[in-house]
Amino acid sequence: MINRKKFDFVLLALLVCLITMGCIAIFSASTTVIGQHIRIENNWWKQIIFAFVSLMAIALLIRIPMPIFDIVVLPLFIMNLLALVVVLFTPAVNGSHRWFSLGGINLQPSESAKLLTILMVARIISREHLTEYRQILYGFLLVLLPVALIIIEPDFGTTLVFWTSLMAMLIAADVPIFYVLLIVSPIVSIVCSIWLPIIPVWLIILILLLIRARLSWVAITVASIINVFISLITPVLWMGLKDYQQNRILTFIDPTRDPLGAGYQIIQAKIAIGSGSVWGKGWLLGTQKNMNFLPEHHTDFIFSVIGEEFGFVGSVILLCVFAIFFGRIIKNIGELKVKERKVATAGIMAYLMFQMFINIGMNIGLVPATGIPLPFISYGGSNLLINAISVGVILKYLNERGFIK
Amino acid sequence: MTKSHAIFVYRISLAVLFSLLVMSLFRLQVVKGKTYQRIAESNFVRIRRVVATRGEIYDHKFRPIVSNVPSHNLFLTSGKIHNFPALSRFLARNFGISEAELHELVLKQRFKTYEEILLADNIPYETMLILSEQMNYYPELSFRIGSTRNYLYPNLFTGYVGRINEKEYEQYKREDYSINSYIGKTGLERYYEVLLRGRDGREIVQVDAQGRSLDLLNESGNIKPLNGLSVVLTIDNDLQEFVSNTFPAGMRGAVVVTDIRSGGILAYVSKPDYDPNLFMQKISPETWANLNRSEKPMLDRIIHASYPPGSVFKPLTAGLGLESGIVTPYTRLASCVGGMKIGNRFFKCWHAGGHGSTNVVEALKVSCDVYFYDLSLKLNLDKMKDYARNSHFYSKTGIDLPNERTGFFPSTEWYRKTFGKNVGIIGHKVNLSIGQGEVLTTPIQMNAFYAAIANDGLWIQPHLLKQTVGRGKLTREQLIPLAKKRLPMSASTIKSIQEGLWSVVNAPGGTGANARVNGGTVYGKTGSAENSMGKTTHAWFCGYLVTTKPEIVVTVFLENAGGGGALAAPITARILNYYVGNLDEIKKIAPIPPQFRSIEQPEAEPEDASEVPESLPVQPEEQGQ
Repeated sequence: MINRKKFDFVLLALLVCLITMGCIAIFSASTTVIGQHIRIENNWWKQIIFAFVSLMAIALLIRIPMPIFDIVVLPLFIMNLLALVVVLFTPAVNGSHRWFSLGGINLQPSESAKLLTILMVARIISREHLTEYRQILYGFLLVLLPVALIIIEPDFGTTLVFWTSLMAMLIAADVPIFYVLLIVSPIVSIVCSIWLPIIPVWLIILILLLIRARLSWVAITVASIINVFISLITPVLWMGLKDYQQNRILTFIDPTRDPLGAGYQIIQAKIAIGSGSVWGKGWLLGTQKNMNFLPEHHTDFIFSVIGEEFGFVGSVILLCVFAIFFGRIIKNIGELKVKERKVATAGIMAYLMFQMFINIGMNIGLVPATGIPLPFISYGGSNLLINAISVGVILKYLNERGFIK
Repeated sequence: MTKSHAIFVYRISLAVLFSLLVMSLFRLQVVKGKTYQRIAESNFVRIRRVVATRGEIYDHKFRPIVSNVPSHNLFLTSGKIHNFPALSRFLARNFGISEAELHELVLKQRFKTYEEILLADNIPYETMLILSEQMNYYPELSFRIGSTRNYLYPNLFTGYVGRINEKEYEQYKREDYSINSYIGKTGLERYYEVLLRGRDGREIVQVDAQGRSLDLLNESGNIKPLNGLSVVLTIDNDLQEFVSNTFPAGMRGAVVVTDIRSGGILAYVSKPDYDPNLFMQKISPETWANLNRSEKPMLDRIIHASYPPGSVFKPLTAGLGLESGIVTPYTRLASCVGGMKIGNRFFKCWHAGGHGSTNVVEALKVSCDVYFYDLSLKLNLDKMKDYARNSHFYSKTGIDLPNERTGFFPSTEWYRKTFGKNVGIIGHKVNLSIGQGEVLTTPIQMNAFYAAIANDGLWIQPHLLKQTVGRGKLTREQLIPLAKKRLPMSASTIKSIQEGLWSVVNAPGGTGANARVNGGTVYGKTGSAENSMGKTTHAWFCGYLVTTKPEIVVTVFLENAGGGGALAAPITARILNYYVGNLDEIKKIAPIPPQFRSIEQPEAEPEDASEVPESLPVQPEEQGQ
C-alpha cells in the first residue's frame, strides 16, 4: 500500500545502497588469502539473506494499519524490558550478559530496546499540554528503565545511544534549546575539570548562551553555581577513586593506555585505514585485513576494511552516502506534521547518526573504543534488521502523512 | 519557528560530525598515508606471546629429576605465505609434514593468520644450521629458541608434557593456553600443571623492516612472563635408582618406599617403565607400538591398577576381629588341619600340613588361612566393607598424581545384584577375609596402610611434593594440607598386629624371614594372591623398618611372579639393607622366578620350595599365604 506521491523512494534507495556497500565490505572481510588459496567464510551470504529479510520487514511494516502499529508499541516495549531482565541470567559471553542464543542466531534485546524506547518516549513527551519540565522528566524516566538494565549487562557504549536520542527528541518536541543546554552543561563541566584553565572560558560561554536565551537572572545564577561546583568537585571525587578504578576510566577515554587490549585494536585499525592511502589497495587485496590483526573486522571494525581497500576516496564516498541519507531524514522531519511522529523520526535519526559517528570515529582513533557496530554496514543480522525497521518506521510515517490531522 | 530551529540544530550537528570524520580521515589516509603504508608493509606491529619457563622438578636433596634444555623450534606465520606448493615441498622434505597436515594447520589458524604456528619442535642444531641458509626463500618460516623437558631417568611419576591437543585447547583456552602451548599430559606434570606452568607474558612487537621502533604503542604495556614454580619432591634419587636397578629385570610389578613419619614417597618404581623423553620428539610408530606392548610400560602399577591383595590384607581382618571384640589377642580359633570345612565345602589353607589352633599373632606369623576363615564367620560383610574403607582400602589415598584407582570391596548388595538374590554370602566372605575373591587394592593403598600401622595408627596421605621453590616458596602443607586420619584400631589392637608382623619376619617359622636385615627390626607381611591374570600368584611383601623409631615402609608387588615370601621379601631386604647401609648384603642377586628367566640364565632352585603355592585352578579362592 505504498502511496506513490508520499513514499520516499530516495530514502529507500539510499538504504539499499548502504546495505549493498556493507555486503561488499563483508565479502572482503570474510576472505582470507593464504598463498594461492582463498578461503571465504559464509558471513557474506548470511548478511545478504538478512538484507532481504530486512527489506521484507519494511514492506510488511508499511502494510500494517497505523492504529495497530500504535497499539503494539507499548506491549512490545514491556516485553522488551522483560527480555532485558531475563538476558541478565543467561551465561556470560566475554564477561557480559547480552545475548540470547537461539539455534545459532544471537538475539540482543538491547538492540530492539533502542527503537522501542524511542517510539515510547516520542509518544509520551509529545502529548499536548505538557510543561517542558514534565517532558524532560518523563523522557528521562522512560529512558532510565532500559538504560539501567543495559548498564548491568554491562554494555556502557549502548546506553550512550539512548541519551543522544533523548536529547534530539526533546529538541524536536519543542523543548527550548537552552533546557537541553542546561542538561548537557554538567557533563561539559566534568570534561572541562580535567584542565582547570578552561573552566572560566566554558562558564562564560554558558552564561552568554543562557543570557541570549532570555533566562531569568536567578536561573542563570543557579546554573552557573551548580556548574562551578561540579567542575571543582570532580577532581576531588577523582582522587577518592582507587587506582584500578581510575585506570579503568582512563583506559576507556584513552585506549592506548592498554596496548594489549583496546589500544592494540585501534592501532591495528589505524594502520589498516592509514595504509589504504588515497586510492586504497583494491577490493579483496587488503593486506592488514588478510593478516587478521583485528578479530572483529567484519563487525565493529568493518570500516577498517573499507578504509584499507578503498582508500580515502572510498571512505569519503561512504561518508557522503551516509550524509545524504541523514540529510534526507532531517528534511523529512520538517515534512511530518504529527508531533509524535516528528519526534520519533528525530530520535531514530539521532540514534543512527550517533552510532555511525562513534563507530567510524573509533576506527580512526577519534573516539574511545566501544562495541557499537556501523549501521547497515557491519555484519550482524539482528542489528541490521532493527536498523532497517527503524528506517521503515520513518518510511511508514511519510507514507501515512496527511491521513490524520 | 521552533520547528526550523530543531532542524537547524540537526543540520549543524550532521555537518560538524561529517566534517570531523572527513578531516580525520584526510589526516590519517592522505597526510600520513605513506607512513602507515610503510608500517603495513613490514606488518610487524603485533602482540607476541612470551612463553614462561616451566618449573623444574627436583628430588628432596635438590638434585634434578626433570630439567629444561634449550630447543630449536620452527614457526610458521600463515598470513605471510606466498608460494604454498614450494613451502609444502620444503616442509615435507625436511620435517615430514605432509601437504594435508599443513593445510589443516593453516585452516585451523585462519582467523589469526598473523599468529605463529609451531610446526616442529626440538629440531637438531645441525639440521637448523643447514636449513637456515634456505630460510630466505620462506619469509613465513622462522626459527626460534624455546625450551624442552629433559627427564633424567625413566619413571612413571613425573609424566611428560606435550603439545596441547584440540580437546584440551577447547577446555583450557580460557586459562590462556594457545594452540602452541605445552601442557602436562600425565603424572606430576599434569597434576601440578598450575604450579609448573607459570604465566605467559605478552610482548608488543613494533619495529619496522629496518628494526626501528615505530613508537605506536606504549612499550611499558609489555607483560613479563612469570616463570613456573620449581617443585621439590620427597623422592630420593639414590634410593629411586637403587630400587629401579634392584628390581629383577623382565618382571612386572611395583615398589613403593615411603617415609613413615612424613608420608613422603622416597622411591616410586613401577616396572616395566618408559622414558618420558620419548614424548619430547615426534613418536615413531615402532616406538608407539613398543609403548603399547602387552607388558604395558605406560601403566603405573602403583596407582593405575588394582590387584587382589592376598595375605597382606589379613592384618585388616585381624584388626576388625580384635576391634569388635569377637576375639582377643589370646583367643584361639578353629584348628587348622590343612583347611576347614564350612557348610559342605572344604576351604583349604595354603599349608596342607595344617597349623593347628592359632591365636592372632601366630596366625599372622604363619599366615594361617583357617584362623581368618573362622573369624570371618563371625563378621558382617558390610561391616568389613566399612572397616576396609575407614582403613583407606578401596578409597583413593589422594596421592598427588592424576587418575588414581579406587580399588574395590564388595558389599552384600553388590553380590545380590551380581549373582542374584539368593547368593550365599558366607563363601565369599570367607575368601574376602584372606584378601582373595573380589577385593582389589592398589599398591599405594597397601603402602599407606602399613605405614599407618607402623605409625601406631596414624594414617598420613602418601605424597610426592615436598615444597615449591623459585618465585614462591610453599610447603606441601600450605598448598594442599595433608589428610591425616586415625585407623579404626585401638592401641592394643595395633600392638597385637605389630607383634604379628614382627613375628612374620623375625620369629622362627615366619613366612617373611627373607626380609630380615641387620641394623634394624623389620616388620612385614607376605602375600601370594591368586588372580585371574595367570596361574602364578602375585607376590606381595609389605614391610617396614624400625631402628630406634619407625623409619620407612616398603611395598613390593610382583605381578604373577610367585610366592611373596620367596620373591618379594628378599627384594625388600635388599632395599632395607641399602637404606640401613649394609652395602655388602646388597651384592646378593635378587631371585628371579622361572617364568621370567631368559634362556641364558642358569636355572636356580627356589629358595624355599614350600613357599611356592600349589596351583588350584578351579577354586582360586581357597588359597592364600
